[in-house]
Amino acid sequence: MDIGTVMNVMRDPAGIPAHPELFRILMIVTWVFHIAFVTLTLGAASLAIYAFWRRDTGPYWTRLSIAMTKVAKVGVSLLIVLGVAPLLFTQVIYDPQWYASNVLSAGWAIGFIFTLIIAYCLWFAFYFSNKEGAKRHIGIFAVIALLLFLLDGLIMHALSYQALLPGQWMDWYAPDGVVDTRGAYLHAIQWPRYFFIISLSVPAIGLYLLAYDDYLKSRPDLPEGYLGFVRPLGRKLGASGSLFALILFVWWQFDNPSDSNLIVQPGGWAVGAALLVLWFEVTFFADKLHGYLLLCGGLVVLLLLAIWREVVRATYLSAYGYSIVDQKINADWPSLALFFLTLAGVGGLVGGFYLSLLYRAGRVQGVYQADRSIAAMGTGAVAVLAVWIAVFFLYGIAIFIENTFAY
Amino acid sequence: MLGMYPTFYVPYIGSAWVMGIIGVIHVVASHTSVGAAFLFAVLETKAYRDDQPEIMGFIKRYGVFLLVFSYIIGSITGPGIWYAITVASPRGVSGLIHNFVWVWAAEWVYFTVEVIGVYALVYLIGKVDRLTHLKLTWSFALASWATMLLIVGILSFMMWPGNEGWYLTGSTNDAFYNINFFAHLGVRTGSMFVMAAVVGFMVAAGIKDEDLKRGVIRVIAPIGLLGGLFSVMMFLYYLQTLPTNAKVMLQAYLIPAYANTMIGIFVATTAYLVFVWWKPHRLKLYIAVPMFLAIAVLGVWPEERMRESMRKPYVAGQYIYSNQVIARDVPGKSIRGEVDLIAEKGLLKLHPFIPDRLREVTDDNRLEVGELLAKIACANCHALEPGAPLRSIPDKLYGSPDKDMIAAFLRGPLKHGAAPYMPRIDLPDQEVDAIAAYLASVNAGTLEKSAASHTSAPITALIEREGK
Repeated sequence: MDIGTVMNVMRDPAGIPAHPELFRILMIVTWVFHIAFVTLTLGAASLAIYAFWRRDTGPYWTRLSIAMTKVAKVGVSLLIVLGVAPLLFTQVIYDPQWYASNVLSAGWAIGFIFTLIIAYCLWFAFYFSNKEGAKRHIGIFAVIALLLFLLDGLIMHALSYQALLPGQWMDWYAPDGVVDTRGAYLHAIQWPRYFFIISLSVPAIGLYLLAYDDYLKSRPDLPEGYLGFVRPLGRKLGASGSLFALILFVWWQFDNPSDSNLIVQPGGWAVGAALLVLWFEVTFFADKLHGYLLLCGGLVVLLLLAIWREVVRATYLSAYGYSIVDQKINADWPSLALFFLTLAGVGGLVGGFYLSLLYRAGRVQGVYQADRSIAAMGTGAVAVLAVWIAVFFLYGIAIFIENTFAY
Repeated sequence: MLGMYPTFYVPYIGSAWVMGIIGVIHVVASHTSVGAAFLFAVLETKAYRDDQPEIMGFIKRYGVFLLVFSYIIGSITGPGIWYAITVASPRGVSGLIHNFVWVWAAEWVYFTVEVIGVYALVYLIGKVDRLTHLKLTWSFALASWATMLLIVGILSFMMWPGNEGWYLTGSTNDAFYNINFFAHLGVRTGSMFVMAAVVGFMVAAGIKDEDLKRGVIRVIAPIGLLGGLFSVMMFLYYLQTLPTNAKVMLQAYLIPAYANTMIGIFVATTAYLVFVWWKPHRLKLYIAVPMFLAIAVLGVWPEERMRESMRKPYVAGQYIYSNQVIARDVPGKSIRGEVDLIAEKGLLKLHPFIPDRLREVTDDNRLEVGELLAKIACANCHALEPGAPLRSIPDKLYGSPDKDMIAAFLRGPLKHGAAPYMPRIDLPDQEVDAIAAYLASVNAGTLEKSAASHTSAPITALIEREGK
């Protein structure tokens, strides 16, 4: 059977509830935030371990290790929750590819969950133990956790990459015509792509340190010289990491199939150019530009990468006659409104309240007394949730009653 | 051709149990989290109103425990359920995603807010003024409950929409606010308070200050009791909202299997909550931890297992069978049922993931085809090994090696959909013959003996190759 035809038949018969391009945009944008926390977490975890074992060589390594351990701890939570959205939108427009790839490596997809739980528990064990005078051997928890995080990244990479190779699915599922239903193997890994994305954790943590320095400048309780130690380290990691990632990116560019013509598409080289610009900024302007601005430069690289990743996927799949634009659409406006209103009202106001509060409380020594704007946001957060829940029930009861009498 | 996927099969326990195990862990962690959020809000209100800042120490302690328990295990097993149902029932999860994507996306907004919120709640205790923190805690509680409000609509649709509305309109409204929804929400909302109280007891057991310990327990124990009572009442209402196939399953299999355990765990939990409320100082860690484990495992596993079993033979909305076949037309979404088409042409012709050498049944490949068809058509609900815990087909057939008898069942009740909790599986004769031959061989024990030394390829393929 022609796999291109098969993929089109495998699309969900219910169709999709809005225009496919809307899902594509949401998938790209939400993936940027997910991968930002993936790279930040891996960078923070690596630096936490490195600093932990360098504690005896300087006065600030212990503080840095503890701080980076906390960053990685929160980062894992956020990368998980932020990963849900792109996964969701991928399943809407690339359902045949994602599901087929997962089933073909089902054992690994399930293993991903348990290894991630173990890794995160180990990281918490490291976090609880990583204090002044901590014993050296607790670093082992962190190393194992980091290795498992990298394994989980590899599993996610393989599941995504296998989805691009439908021509090989049947060979993987039934090698020599004998069906294997165990899902026991990862069938395809594109190492340059995997290494490139992992390598972004180096500039990510470098940029984070530059922003961290600017954020903490208002804290007089920090030891003198600590931020003076952090900023050059951030600059060094940001600059060398950008160049390192650029080399791996070029390797990935040349690793794609030559008949795909991806090598001549400008989108890919835009990612490379953005990395070069990032290197230039960090090398020559790290002390002149605010750390937050440099962090935004990093997000631009990730946005271009997210778009390029989608171009790569569309190019691979177009060879089989698959495109998302000819999906069957069964528009569902009420649920679409539910999402966007929740995003604006709850995400904006409640999320905004939490982030503002965390941001401001972290910049003061002692107890933070909310000013009028934060106090109003807090009241607004409770109110918007109460209204949301009230509307949810009133609307639901009305539909429930209507359907009870109508059918 | 049908839009079906490759098959993932886990011997003995099936992919269903893998999903169930992850699901139970997630339910315990997530219900605890939502219930605890309300306990925090009530306790913090008391701390604020009565000027008892020491209560905040308990909230911080419970919050740190929650971070590890619910926000590591709970937040990973949440997507974990997705992964598990993806590999077990790709078309089932696809159907849900394509009906509820915006609902799930709204839930994601809440998840994100909740994860940021739990860190803010725990780490800003004593770092921000008390009124602001109280607002933070109440907003966290409401946001946590909203995640439950959203997911329950999807879960209850999996049971059934309850009327023809959704089939005709295809509207997410009609799917979400289904007949089962409010009852199901009530069961989970009540049980989340029980779970949060039981986990809270583990944290409270370690409090040294006896006055604080008593004060905290005397707040959370009655909340747990009221939650439990509410949950039981809503469960009785829930039973009235079930489809016929679920009621048959309940009466025939589930009540005999689980009723005693569930009544026992209800009585034990009630007695535990009352006892701790009455004698807070007697609560110790060596009591609290085993009670938590007993309630989590013996209470949640039967409940989740029952819900999953009662849904059979469907996996979603009574329009997708567990074996991934579309069971009926859904005009509101232009979805066409596939059962009749399969009856006419057979799975071997229509399924895209069948190797060419198996598309025709021959004397050489009959057992191999039978095994593959059994995995495709049956193994989402049934194990294929004798003695296996997941509704073993050989056991259901009483170990009979009589191929004709097995074929008669396939051509009789199964073909006509006469068994109320079984899908209608109507296959062409040659496919029925292959499945019957395979199951008869399993029951005769001939497959296992021949292939005892092989593990990687399907057993039947090895036997048939060796035969050549």
